[in-house]
Amino acid sequence: MSTKSRMSKALVRRETIAGYAFMLPSLIFFLGFVIYPMIQCIITSFFDSTMNREDIFVGFGNYIELFQDKVFLGALRNTIIIVLVSVPVVCIFSLWVSSVIQNLRGPLCSVFRCVFYLPVVTGSVAVTVVWKWMFNNYYGIFNYVGKATGLIEQNINWLGDEKYALGCIILILLTTSVGQPIVLYVSALDNVDQSLVEAAEVDGATRLQCFWKIKWPQIKPTTLYILVITTINSFQCFALIQLLTSGGPNHSTDTIMYYIYHTAFKLYRYGYGNAMGVVLALAIAILSGIQFKLAKSE
Amino acid sequence: MKFRKAMALAVAAGMVFSLNTVNVFAEGEATDITLWTYPVGSWGDSAVVDGLIANFNEAHPDINVKVEYLDYTNGDDQINTAIEGGQAPDIVLEGPERLVANWGAKGLMVDLADLWTDEAKEAIYDSVESACQNNDGVFYEYPLCMTAHTMAINRDLFEAADALQYLDEETHTWTTENFVKAVQAVYDNGQQNVGAVYCSGQGGDQGTRALVNNLYGGTFTNAEHTEYTADSEENIKALELLKSMDGINFDASIAGGDEINLFCNGTLGMAFCWNIAQEKNNAENIAFDVLPMAFPSEDGNPQLCGGIWGFGIFDNGDEAKIEAAKTFIDFMANDETQAAESVKASSYWPVKDLGNIYEGDDLMTEYSAFIPYMGDYYQVVGGWAEARTAWWNMLQQIGSGTDVTEAVNEFVTTANAAAAAAN
Repeated sequence: MSTKSRMSKALVRRETIAGYAFMLPSLIFFLGFVIYPMIQCIITSFFDSTMNREDIFVGFGNYIELFQDKVFLGALRNTIIIVLVSVPVVCIFSLWVSSVIQNLRGPLCSVFRCVFYLPVVTGSVAVTVVWKWMFNNYYGIFNYVGKATGLIEQNINWLGDEKYALGCIILILLTTSVGQPIVLYVSALDNVDQSLVEAAEVDGATRLQCFWKIKWPQIKPTTLYILVITTINSFQCFALIQLLTSGGPNHSTDTIMYYIYHTAFKLYRYGYGNAMGVVLALAIAILSGIQFKLAKSE
Repeated sequence: MKFRKAMALAVAAGMVFSLNTVNVFAEGEATDITLWTYPVGSWGDSAVVDGLIANFNEAHPDINVKVEYLDYTNGDDQINTAIEGGQAPDIVLEGPERLVANWGAKGLMVDLADLWTDEAKEAIYDSVESACQNNDGVFYEYPLCMTAHTMAINRDLFEAADALQYLDEETHTWTTENFVKAVQAVYDNGQQNVGAVYCSGQGGDQGTRALVNNLYGGTFTNAEHTEYTADSEENIKALELLKSMDGINFDASIAGGDEINLFCNGTLGMAFCWNIAQEKNNAENIAFDVLPMAFPSEDGNPQLCGGIWGFGIFDNGDEAKIEAAKTFIDFMANDETQAAESVKASSYWPVKDLGNIYEGDDLMTEYSAFIPYMGDYYQVVGGWAEARTAWWNMLQQIGSGTDVTEAVNEFVTTANAAAAAAN
């Protein structure tokens, strides 16, 4: 008995070691590129840190300055607007599109999936360049069509006017964000147990009732995942801003991510930039936590 | 098992031997240095730079130069990332605003005093010499070439609007009063977009600064380059004038590069971001006659923003590499036959008298008329990175209706705070 037990312990140990060995490359990557930078970011946020100079400990100085910085507060507001608009729109739109295309025949459904997924796989720089051309103040297609159809009287400087710039950014963000949720929703809807739907239909349930009572509960985990990733992506909106507006005009398209980049890499204020990063991470964590909690409680 | 052990031993021995071999042969071998170059004319073109380096290697076969090409959009980020990662290049080709006022001020660059011999100081123009050193007289740049940033007009458009009467084509100058008349004439002739005060980013911002400063004789900094003076009465008056002019738009959706494209394709009637390189690079895309002009000033005596480009060396702590880098710079900028080639590759002018290196080139001769108008090289002022950002933000504010005085005061407060922090 004792020999058996020793053997089984040895087997368990061997399996454990093998398990850790398989995990090791990912673990090293995770520790080196995720955990270590996170810890470093938190530590640096308490310092006045810049290039080629000893860091100076400032305690919560960077955090206090953050909430007195008009530009940061503006960037925070813009980021929240982007999240509040894009997250529900992306979820609702992608759910609607996937509900429609899921009922189409196989190849047609694939075509639509490809069409909506195309902006995701196309490089963000290429997508942005095309949008920049379409929004061009002087010869952009939006102004051309707008004037040709009589919708506008004179050219609108879409990206150069603070009334429109953030809206344009959100529009582009939506086109690049809906692809993945659509693909996920189509798969989730495909996996819904058809026997339940058919049974409900036999019992006289309407299509809306079928959706809310049968399909929706089964695609809720997918919805939660989409909500979380869309929230994170919206919070981290950066490339569009850098390539299109640099935060302007008049800071109207500044986002926290762009302001972090600007502060750290243009002004070399690493500590201040890291403090913003910590605040952003906390905001994302809190919002994701709330989303998980709500999904669980329902 | 024995065979495996023997093989492992043999492989290990082989590896150790090969390492030793590398070390043995490394001694007395070539020094490897890296050159990172911004696109200063054809210094951003690998075919041209390869030729220049081949010349260098003929004279100095013991130094290998590896080149990396930067652009003005991401170049700073690339260098800063390299600095933070301890992988800064040995040599970088750029101007004093980066080499002296930025990386030099942060203590990252090598003092180039031994390249700045008495002979070199005698030969290089005083204004250039002054721009290549910090306030304590430490040289962080050894200059190669220079140019004066101009503006340009679509001559065909101005001729059609009978606006050429308001400018002096021979001296390439005009007064503020005539500039206003000319823009109005072109606008009245149907050209809705005569010029754009571009301000979506810092690209080409020397053009908007020069425009504002010249109109009524304002300055960007004080003569000592310690304080920003853009809130002067002259600058405020200039900005108010531009804001009020028909045909001049404050455009927050374009930067200097976009403005050049819009000028070249005929959308805009004039470009404020211009120099000889723009005309050469865009020659194939331009379907009209370009007339380069100095920025308008009250008395017709402009002060143009200059561009000075040269080499700086990052202090990577390796004396051999630093010496090799100095040898490279000395060859490129001072060698009797090479210096002219190095300057020609930039499409600009030498920083010392090398004779007429562009003899027979009409375009270069035309643009050389602007060199005497070169004004103060103030870009070495402290807090430059923050001030540049604050400048285009200020133009955006004015464009969106903020009171000019209020916007300018905010700019100066931000910029001077950055200057004070840097000093």
